[in-house]
Amino acid sequence: MNIFSVSDVTYRYQNVLALDHISLDIEEGQRVAFLGANGSGKSTLLRLLDGLYFAESGLITFRDEPLIPHMFEHDSFAFDFRRRVGLVFQNPDVQLFNPTVFDEIAFAPLQLRWPKQEILQRVDEALERMEIQQLKHRPPHRLSGGEKKRVALASVLVLDPEVLLLDEPTAALDPRSESQVIELLSGFAGNQKTVVIATHDLAVVADIADHCFVLQRGQVAAQGAPKTILDDTALLERVNLIHGHRHRHSSGIIHSHPHKHPHEH
Amino acid sequence: MIGHQHTRGGFIERTLASLIAIAEYSANAEALVERGGVLQRVDPRVKLAGLLALIVAVAASRRLAVIGFVFAASLLLGLLSGIRLGMLAGLIWVPVLLFSGVLAVPALFLTPGPEWAPYITYPGIRAAAFLISRGGTAATISAVLVLTTPWPHLLKALRSLGLPVVLVVILGMTYRYIFAILQTALDMFESRKSRTVGTFAPNERRRIATAVVGALLSRSFQMSNDVHQAMLSRGFRGEVYLLDDFTATRADWCWAGLFAGSAALAFWLGR
Amino acid sequence: MHIPDGYLSPATCAALYCGSAPFWYVALNRMKRALNTQMVPLLSVFAAFSFIIMMFNLPLPGGTTGHAAGIAIAAIVLGPWGAILSISVALIIQALLFGDGGITAIGANCFNMAIAGSLVAYAVYRLISGRAALDARRRVIAAGVAGYVAINVSALLAAIEFGIQPALFHDASGTPLYAPYPLHIAVPAMMIGHLTIAGIAEAVLSAGAVAYLQRADPSLLKTTAPGASGSAAIETGWGRTRPLWIALAVLLVLTPLGILAAGSAWGEWAPEDFGNAQARKQIAAASHDQAPPTSAPAGLQRLSTFWTAPLPRYAPAFLKSAAFGYLLSAMAGTGVIVLLFTSASWLTSRLRR
Repeated sequence: MNIFSVSDVTYRYQNVLALDHISLDIEEGQRVAFLGANGSGKSTLLRLLDGLYFAESGLITFRDEPLIPHMFEHDSFAFDFRRRVGLVFQNPDVQLFNPTVFDEIAFAPLQLRWPKQEILQRVDEALERMEIQQLKHRPPHRLSGGEKKRVALASVLVLDPEVLLLDEPTAALDPRSESQVIELLSGFAGNQKTVVIATHDLAVVADIADHCFVLQRGQVAAQGAPKTILDDTALLERVNLIHGHRHRHSSGIIHSHPHKHPHEH
Repeated sequence: MIGHQHTRGGFIERTLASLIAIAEYSANAEALVERGGVLQRVDPRVKLAGLLALIVAVAASRRLAVIGFVFAASLLLGLLSGIRLGMLAGLIWVPVLLFSGVLAVPALFLTPGPEWAPYITYPGIRAAAFLISRGGTAATISAVLVLTTPWPHLLKALRSLGLPVVLVVILGMTYRYIFAILQTALDMFESRKSRTVGTFAPNERRRIATAVVGALLSRSFQMSNDVHQAMLSRGFRGEVYLLDDFTATRADWCWAGLFAGSAALAFWLGR
Repeated sequence: MHIPDGYLSPATCAALYCGSAPFWYVALNRMKRALNTQMVPLLSVFAAFSFIIMMFNLPLPGGTTGHAAGIAIAAIVLGPWGAILSISVALIIQALLFGDGGITAIGANCFNMAIAGSLVAYAVYRLISGRAALDARRRVIAAGVAGYVAINVSALLAAIEFGIQPALFHDASGTPLYAPYPLHIAVPAMMIGHLTIAGIAEAVLSAGAVAYLQRADPSLLKTTAPGASGSAAIETGWGRTRPLWIALAVLLVLTPLGILAAGSAWGEWAPEDFGNAQARKQIAAASHDQAPPTSAPAGLQRLSTFWTAPLPRYAPAFLKSAAFGYLLSAMAGTGVIVLLFTSASWLTSRLRR
């Protein structure tokens, strides 16, 4: 069954076209990666899936219900949707807006008006799951980048959402935090949870996704299993995900650093 | 807040220095809060209300002796809470003396009354003493409050003392984003500094400074949009819900009584 | 500019807290209605921005440097209501956590800088920029002048608050209990620094930031440029600016009332006055015996009696002077007139519908 269905969706920021008549479906329990260079529209698509932006034309449905502003005017739908779908932002600084880590993780359950005892218990579970119990009373501006990312994940996982949307979850992380995030995401394989990840980090795709959509200029340029996509060097070069001097490590893992302006070199 | 340095160049360094000073001050405060001490154990609501009452008593007092007594008491509380004298001197007293001290000097001569020494009048001395002692004592009390109370607790205390929830949330988020914007500002200045060879012409320096302000403004706007999205994404609908978790112990009630008694005494004696 | 604890009497501080409260209330309600869920993050991030801006050390013409408060740039980007709230929050955090400005003086500092400053900056900016295009040079100049005027109005208010202290609050020996300098010293002392360094710093910052935004992010200038071509007409006509006029009028009315209250209502109205038959008659006479003036000088005389009657006997000459009383009454009068006009236009627009 499709949990999200995107059909012929267009979205623009002021005058810049971000999504251009894009269509795709995401199945329940699937782990999906949106691959694309900066400006390909993958972050925008995540925000549309989270009901933060709304399609200018075309339609997005979540479990056959349309994601349109009108639906979010009702508390019942809004609360239900927010509990079932969680988004982890790329920049943890915008996501961590509370005075302490505890308040941060308790924020979502509090807005959904859960009972106090349950909130306290769930927050402790989320802290434990991300191994950040020792950070509970710290202010977010005193955390390292990796710690911030783990707190951001905990603040979404505390609701135990059915759908987890992640924007560049491994960008700018120290090795330890990165491997912890990858471990967490690979743990969702074969699970009931639907995971949608926007990334340009080709090295992690095989571990965290079952299916890839390659985005370019707001459209789907290709889709398929991670292995098929990663082996298609011509495709990856065409969509600016790898550069001419792409190199293979001895282990065979593709390692590449996408360039913002590939033609300047 | 007017700065009169006549040194050439280096405005970036000076701004950097004051931005870093802010970061260090709060780091100091946060480190001290974690250490145990007398006031650290008092319920934040009691502490906030009690110390604010003392500040108002100092503001209202018409007797120097009463102000001096409150100063001594707050100093004692500070020392018992692990605040070092050097810290208070560096953070509070020197700035107060530099600011109020300089402002108070002309009062020695300008206030009419019987003379103590040539041109210096008794009322002038008392007026200067009032200005400096009141300013110094109030600043010491607020430093003792801030240095012994974690900011999140202070926020919750403000809320239980009747500040509207929306203001409490805005205050909390402002403090949090001061550090995010501070970091952005530092990065912008650092990158300009690293590109600097030699010194800029004055109008070029001015252009850089105002461009940083403009860029910071546009970055702030984007950031507020993103924060808004992040809040919506986690169920924010315009009303904020917070948890209350203070419980006052018997010791807290004793402190409440102590604060109320001494503030009332200071009011009465200072009439 | 940030008034510390101990410079203003508790009565003055209380009066200025009370003077600020209605502005905060109206601003909060208006922002809430206009922005809904966006209000909290927008105000918070901009308050943090204002806080950081106050740390900046700007190089000024002539080799000096100065701090600006960023009042005009906030008023230009957010409009007056958003600026009132975000600058107030920045000032509250500075006072509470960083000891910059007194806790008892938060009301005063917010009134001078956040409220009066923002409203004046907005009015000046709108007046000068008119319907100029978003990228017009005129907007840069308007921003500079708005910043200069706003910071000087804030400084003048602070100077007046300082200057009335020694006359109103001293002990039996004549020792001033709070700020010790009378108006004729406090006003020039404050204004020299602000008309020069601080005023220029604020003008440089506002003009420079607007010039930068014109090139880099002109959409941020749209909020307060309803007439400019290519801008979304967020504020159209009288209907949207009416609350601003009301606010300005209330400000004008409140200023003399606030000074009056500071002088009389709290503590300074000697309790024995109430027992004293003659004093009671004086007070009663001041409020009821309002015969229409027969000639201009006599009217002025009466006005000044009305003004000075509730003041304590030892109030200084300038406060009792006809001219000062006249000035304050004129301010109050202007405020009342603006209020009348505003309500009249509101009524007619309702009736027409």
